[in-house]
Order: sequence, then C-alpha cells, then structure tokens
Amino acid sequence: MSFIVYSIRCRVIPLLLGFLPVCVHAQEMPNKQIEEVRVLGFSTEHFMAGLKVQKIDSATLSRFQFQTLADFLQFQSPVAFKSYGSGQLTTIAFRGTSAMHTAVLWNGLNINNPMAGQTDFSTVPVLGFDQLSVQYGSAASCVGSDAVGGSILLTSVPQWKQKGFNLTVGGQYGSFDNYNFQTGLRFVQNAKNGLQFSGKTLLYGSQYNNRFNETERTDNAGRVYPIEPSETSQKGFIQDLYLRKKNGNLWSLNIWLTDHKLSIQPDVVDFREITQNKAYRFLSTYQLKNTNLKIGFVRDIIDYGKGDFLSPSHSETDRYIARVEHEFSFKKQNSFLNTTVRMGGEFVHFVAKVDGYGGGAITESRQDLFALIRQQFTQRLTTSINLRQAFSTRYAVPFTPSFGLEYSLISSEKNQLKLSGSAAKSYRLPTLNERYWEALGNPEIRPESGFNKELGINWKRIISTRLSTSLGMNVYHNLIDDWTYWNPDKGYRVENLQQVLAQGFELSGNVKYMKNSYLSGFSSTYSYTNSSQQKVYDVYAVDIVGKQLIYVPLHTVTSTAYVGKGNWSLNLQGLYNSERFVTFDHSGRPFTPTFLLNSTISGKIKVGKLQTNVIFQTNNLTDVVYPSVRKNAMPGRSFSLGLVLSEGFFVK
Amino acid sequence: MQFNSIFVRSIFATSLLLGLNSCTKTSEPEPSQPYDSGVFVINRGNFSDNNGSITLINPTTKVASYDIFQRENNRAISGGISDYAEVDGKGIVLVDNATSGKDLIEIVNARTFKSIATIPSSELENPRYVVKASTNKAYVTCWDSFNPDFSFKSGYVIVIDLVTNKVTKKIPVQRGAEKLILVGTDVIVSSTGGDNTISVINTLTDAVSQTVEIGRNPQLIGVDAIGKLWFYAGGEFVKYNLMSKSVESRTKITTSNPSKSPSNFAFNKDKSSILFVYSFYDAADGFKQKGETYNFSINNAAITTSKPFISKLFTGLATDPATGNIYAGFTPSYKQAGFVFRYQANGTLIDSLKAEIAPEGFLFK
Repeated sequence: MSFIVYSIRCRVIPLLLGFLPVCVHAQEMPNKQIEEVRVLGFSTEHFMAGLKVQKIDSATLSRFQFQTLADFLQFQSPVAFKSYGSGQLTTIAFRGTSAMHTAVLWNGLNINNPMAGQTDFSTVPVLGFDQLSVQYGSAASCVGSDAVGGSILLTSVPQWKQKGFNLTVGGQYGSFDNYNFQTGLRFVQNAKNGLQFSGKTLLYGSQYNNRFNETERTDNAGRVYPIEPSETSQKGFIQDLYLRKKNGNLWSLNIWLTDHKLSIQPDVVDFREITQNKAYRFLSTYQLKNTNLKIGFVRDIIDYGKGDFLSPSHSETDRYIARVEHEFSFKKQNSFLNTTVRMGGEFVHFVAKVDGYGGGAITESRQDLFALIRQQFTQRLTTSINLRQAFSTRYAVPFTPSFGLEYSLISSEKNQLKLSGSAAKSYRLPTLNERYWEALGNPEIRPESGFNKELGINWKRIISTRLSTSLGMNVYHNLIDDWTYWNPDKGYRVENLQQVLAQGFELSGNVKYMKNSYLSGFSSTYSYTNSSQQKVYDVYAVDIVGKQLIYVPLHTVTSTAYVGKGNWSLNLQGLYNSERFVTFDHSGRPFTPTFLLNSTISGKIKVGKLQTNVIFQTNNLTDVVYPSVRKNAMPGRSFSLGLVLSEGFFVK
Repeated sequence: MQFNSIFVRSIFATSLLLGLNSCTKTSEPEPSQPYDSGVFVINRGNFSDNNGSITLINPTTKVASYDIFQRENNRAISGGISDYAEVDGKGIVLVDNATSGKDLIEIVNARTFKSIATIPSSELENPRYVVKASTNKAYVTCWDSFNPDFSFKSGYVIVIDLVTNKVTKKIPVQRGAEKLILVGTDVIVSSTGGDNTISVINTLTDAVSQTVEIGRNPQLIGVDAIGKLWFYAGGEFVKYNLMSKSVESRTKITTSNPSKSPSNFAFNKDKSSILFVYSFYDAADGFKQKGETYNFSINNAAITTSKPFISKLFTGLATDPATGNIYAGFTPSYKQAGFVFRYQANGTLIDSLKAEIAPEGFLFK
C-alpha cells in the first residue's frame, strides 16, 4: 500500500516546510529514510485537521434521496435556513453568518452562484451527488472564498466495488400532487491491461404542484398566515465517467446539468412570476501520480419574468476553472511521523452577461495559490498549516493562513477522547452583483475578511459490542470584518460597513444499540448561535449593534431517533428553532419558535436480482403552522411514497 | 339599477346609523374606546417581508401602541400597508402583499380596531390610496397588476359600500392611479403611470365625468386655503382652479441643483404654505441621499430653495390639523423601526418617537 515512488532525504523537507517542528525532529535522525507516499484520493478534508467535519452516511442520503438539500440538511445539522416558501429560494445561515458565507463545493469547485455569491438550496436535490460532508467553521485556506461560516462538500464517487451494470428506476408521489422521478445506470467494466471503467448516468425530475387546498393556515395562537400559490418543476442530468489505470492514475469527467423553475401564482397569467435557475457544470479531472489537474466550466443562468415569460430578464455567468495541485507525502518507516504537503494554484475566469450590469460582458479573473500541510507527529498529535493567497484583477485579497491541531488524549479501542483546535483567517470575495450591478453595486467594494477560532472535544465510547456512544462539543468565535451592507443611507448601494461577531457552541451526542438484526439509536445536536453586528457606522446603527442577526435562531436542536430490523427501519427527525428576529433592531414581532417533526419508514425488498427500496415519508407530522420569510404559511403535514427499483446485470 | 340600489341602501344605512346615534344619545354616554383619539402612523413595512403596521401615538403622553391591528385581532396584516383612512366610523386598511393576487382590504371598527370585514384579493390588485367619497362609501385607487415588462396597465378605482362591505363598482381610470381627494361631490384622481391627466369622478354616478390634462405623472398635494387644488406634475408645481376647471399657474423650483426632485408634499395648518422634501442621490459621494425639507407660500410667484425649512429628509410629512405641529416619518432602513420627528409649525424640533417599519403616512384623530 505504500506506493513508493522515490525516496527523499529528510534535509529536503525543511525547504518545503520551513518552520515546521518536524524538521528539527527529522534532522536529529539523519540516517533514517523518509519515503514519499503515493496519494490516494484527493480529498480536501484531509487538511482540515482541527475543524469539525460531519459526514452524512450513504444510507441516510439514500433514505432522503427525493428531497432537496434545503429540506434535508436542516434536519441533519444545526444550520439555519431562510426560506421564501416551499420549493422557493432557501438560503443558509451557517454558524450565524449570512448566505454568502457558506462555500458549496461540488467535487472541489465552488458552485455558489457568482452573481449573488450564494446557493439556493431548494434547487439542489440530494440525488445530485454521492457523498455529503458538512464542515463547520472557516476553511477558506483550504477551499477558498466563501468558506467563512462553513462549507458544504458535495462529491461524486465511483463505485469500483460494484460489478457490471446496475439500472435504477424510481418515483415518488405524495400529498399536494407532488411527485419525483428518476432513472439511472451505474456500471463498472474491467478492460485489458488492468484498465477499469466506471460511470453513472442519472436523469431526474420533479413536479411540485403544491395543491394545498387551503388559502391560509391558522396556528394554535390564532395567527393566520396566507398560502402563496406556487409550483416548482425541476429536471436534472448527471453523467460521471471514471477511467482508472492499473498504476492508479485516474481520469474522471463529471457533468451535472440542472434546471429549476419556480412559478408564483401559476394559474393566473396576470399575476404569474417565474424564476428559472439553470446550471451547467462540467469538470474533468486527471490524476497523474501525485499531481491533480482539474479543468471545469460552470454556467449559471437565471431568468426572471412575469406573465407569459416571453421576454424574461436574463442573467448568465460563465466560470472557466483550471486547477493544478501536487501533493508530497512523506512517511517515516515504523513511525507515525507523516507529512503531507499539497501545493497548488487555481485560475478562475468569470464572464457575466447580466441585464442589470449595463450591457456587454463583464469579465474578472481570480487566481489562488495555496500550500496545505498536514503533519502527523505521533499517533496522538496531528496538525495542519494551510496558507492561501488569492488574487484578483480588481482588488487586493487578504492573505489567509490557518492552523489546526488534533490531539488524542485517550486512544484505546473502547475509549477515545480527542481534542481539536483551529485558528483560521477567512475571506469572501465580492459577488458580481456587489461589484457590477449598475444600480446598486459598488466598484470599490473590498473582500470581507474573517478570523475564526475554535476548540473542540470529542469522546467516543464503546460500552459493549451492542452499545456505543459519542459526545462532542465545539466552541467558536468568528469575527468578520468589512461585512457588506446594502446601505439605505446611500440609496441601498453596497458598502463594506459592518463587522459581525458570530460566536457560540455546538453539543452533539449519539447512542447506538445493536442486537442481532435489530438496530436502534438516537443522535442529537444542540447549537447556541450568537451573531451580531458590532460596529456603529451611523446614528441609527446604535439600534442594531449587539443584537442577534435576523433569521438566525439563538437555539437550534436537531435530533434523529431510529429503530430497525433487518432491511426495515423507522426514522424520526426533529428540528427546533428558537424565535427568529426579522428586523435588525428586533422591533416588531419575531417569528415564533418552531418544532418540526418528520418520519420515514424505509426498507428493501429483494426478489431475485431485483431490489426495491421503499420510502414512506411524512413531513411536518404534527401539522405545525409556521411562516416563510414572507410571512406566508409553510406546508402542513404531507405524506409521500417512494419506490426505487434497481437490478444488476452484466453485458458481455 | 346599481346606482339606485346603492342610493337606497345608503339612505337606509344612514337612517339606521342616525337612529342608532339618537338611541345612544338618549341612553347612557358611549364608553370611550382605545382608538378614539391619537395620531395613527401608517408604516408601509418592508415590501418583501409583508410586515406593514399601524402605530397609534398619543401626542400628549407620547405613548405608542405598536401594530394595533395585530393587537386587536390576533393576526397580522398580511402585507405592506399602502394607506389607511376612516370613513363613517370604519377604518379601511389597504394591504399590499408581495405576491401578486394576494392584496386585500381590511375593514375595522375605527374605534376598537376590531376586524369587521375583509375585501378579498379577487376584487383588487395593488391598492394605493383610499378616500371617503360620500356617506358610507369609500373609493380606493388601484394600479392593477403590471404588464410582463413591468409597465403600468390602466388603473381603476373600486367603490366600497361600507354598509355591506362589498365592492359595488370598478371605475377605470388612468395608469398608475394614486392619491385621490374629495372636492364637493367629485373625487379627483392623480397618477404615476406615465399619463398626463387626472380623472374626475362624480360620486353621485360613480363614473368618470372628466379627464383634465395637468402634466406628466400628476402628484396630488391638496386644496389650499383659498380653494385651489395643487399638483406636482411634469417637473412643476401646478395650481388648478376647481371652479374654472383649468390650470391657473405652473411654477418650477428655482434651484442651484437640478438633480434634486421634490416629494412627500404636505400643507401647513392653515393651508397657506406647502412643505416638501427635496432630495437627490449624490454620485460624487457614494450615492448618499442628500436633501432637506423646504416650504413655500401658496401666494409666492417663485419657489426658491435657498433656505431649508428643516435640514432633514423624510419618508412622509403631515400637519396635525389641531395643533399645526408637523409630523415627519423617518426610515433609517426597511429592516428596523422608523421614527416620527415632531416639529412646531415654525420648524423647531419638538421630539422624536419610535414608530415601526417605514412610517410614511399619518391620520390625526
């Protein structure tokens, strides 16, 4: 497994690592060889030592495959979402930051819409990727711009272990005349010379007619919220291809095309308002030994129009991306001493054709240089030092270093106690709207910069072969300066006016019990998020300073409880958000606390080679009435039944 | 037919009301109600948040009651508020929801603010202003929905019968119908949709009797001390003679800064002078909105802006008819509560009181 490529004398290392303590250590033993190791996989998470990364398991992803990332993620992690309604614009507030402070990465590429610098999570279906990780806190030195509050990592993964072909056909139908459809093919073929070919083709679509059969909803306290008539249709196509050589070199192609169309007042032409979001994403990766080359193209299109939608306002932004990374990995024989250095650069060229940018195409180029260093010292101690400097043709970007540390205090088979810490600078480059929007943009806008510090403790305990638990806590302090603000005093032009301090902690616990074919468990996360504006920039800002940011709940609890036997399981998910303010100064009525409960019953039926996955889902089980951002009612209780048939076969 | 029925109904309702009044007069005195007096502040709200509200300020104690509709009805106004007026004991709240086809009108008891009726979305779209047309009859201007290119369609005025709380008629008027005013038995409708005309509606027939050319986008100011109707139209203050039904004078503002434009017009107490906000966005200073509040006498031949009346910008201006004090709404942002600045008739600041989101209109009672 060591894939020794060449050996290297340790004296080279100081050149690469500079001040790292490893050099001193290594120089003391000049006679022992340190070997460079072949890199397997090219995951950025590897360099996130000291940061909290939550991996969502594939069974959970499969159970909720018909949902959007917005509906899914809010029950999985204590991130707050701000939704304009069912199937409508839904943006994230990760650890008390704004929608622009979460990097959404698809196979390592930032896919936030460059105009608004954010992702509408209602347009991202869970089906669109194979793996999902949620990374908490600033990781801008690892992943670049926007990773201020956290990152969402979506990854496509080849299934090398699968044999032959696997065909999938699935559908879901539920309340309000809402349905989903998908069909896909996965395959792995072995060719001559140890060449392996793998791929996935997936076509999916959904139509949410939202026939709520009511025009308003009244909560227990008698508050009435109107229902906004809306309809959402979504189509998507995914094509992944992987070609692996015997020596481990890998070529991959990932294509993800999406089309999401939202109609407000769909049945009345005069009132109808349509927003269509399309994204075409192409990525080709070539991994040659320890060098990784990425070439990507992403086109984001937004069309917005009224009535017949014949001449909508059109926005189109293209991103051409090239990234080169080389990784050095050195491992000392018979020791835990292990150094991984990844150095690389990225070039992104933007071309924006947006109606509001004053005609003609706007172009901007951004470059990044980075060095990510992971150093394992002993079995217990690992550190990471990541450095990144971004450049732009238009403005200066702050240098972004970070330092992370993980230390295993207890590391027995049944008892593990790990401490972690991180101090990281972060940045967010201006969105294209902030810079180029003719009416309200500001060509002088600067990048935002943040400084995040955090500490974590994680304890895992295997009590018996049947019972295991874990407990964790993370505390953070994230100060973001030059926070952009659409200043009413300047006719809502954007300025680097504010400074926001987001601080808080997350507590998470997990209990799992297994006996024979029975499985049950409970996991829960509580988060306390205190996020507020700090700087007085005009006389009326006094009313705002120190107050919790709008739509960010102070307390969030997400919980999952499940019981299962064999292939079947019952899953209950709860979500609690404390009250949310809707005005900067907390005047007016805040949104009341909400507690939502969802349930799924899922299982597998196998007949011969045909496998049928059954998913029966109930959302908003207790039929809670709660508002969207626009104070319209969110959907009440709904049921849906999903079936996914899959069968494996071989083609000679 | 319709005219007759409304006529008959109004007479019936009037007699009923008179009857009731006479009844209460002979019995014990009516108990006072929470909204019998005070200054009602119309807070438009932040458009996409659907959070318009009405604040009641007691001008003497300075105590403010916030979101009085929610307070009395345990439900919120489901949109922004474009206007509020009282007509014969009923309060009419125009609700503008961010979603097309979801606007409506709330009718409340003006003394208790308890909901009496709701005029549904099917009857109106983009309601703008409301005025009493005659006994138990209100007129509401509406823009209707926009064309797909966001241009204005023809506007209309809906006629509300406040006995039945139903819409009895839709009167087509010019594009972007705005403020309206009752003068005698006529209601005059201004507009902002690109037309040059005003509409004159005869309240006896509920039909447009005349359209008069005033100037582009005629904004209504009101009737002055000597009975002249004022507009700001086509970049000029226009004095209109209601008797001769003709424009009497047109006056441009004498200014050193032609990029400024006037807005938020109001009369002083005796209607001898007109107050207005005069502002512009200064491109040389990060597009900061700059400007002041000025006034001019209705008898002046020229309108100069050499000396500001109040050195501040506002989102709404009104004069308390009882005291002559000036109430000025100030909106620091659409995501935080606004303020009401109070000034003496001579422009001396009295105090400032906290209102709600975007205070733009006032009703004195």
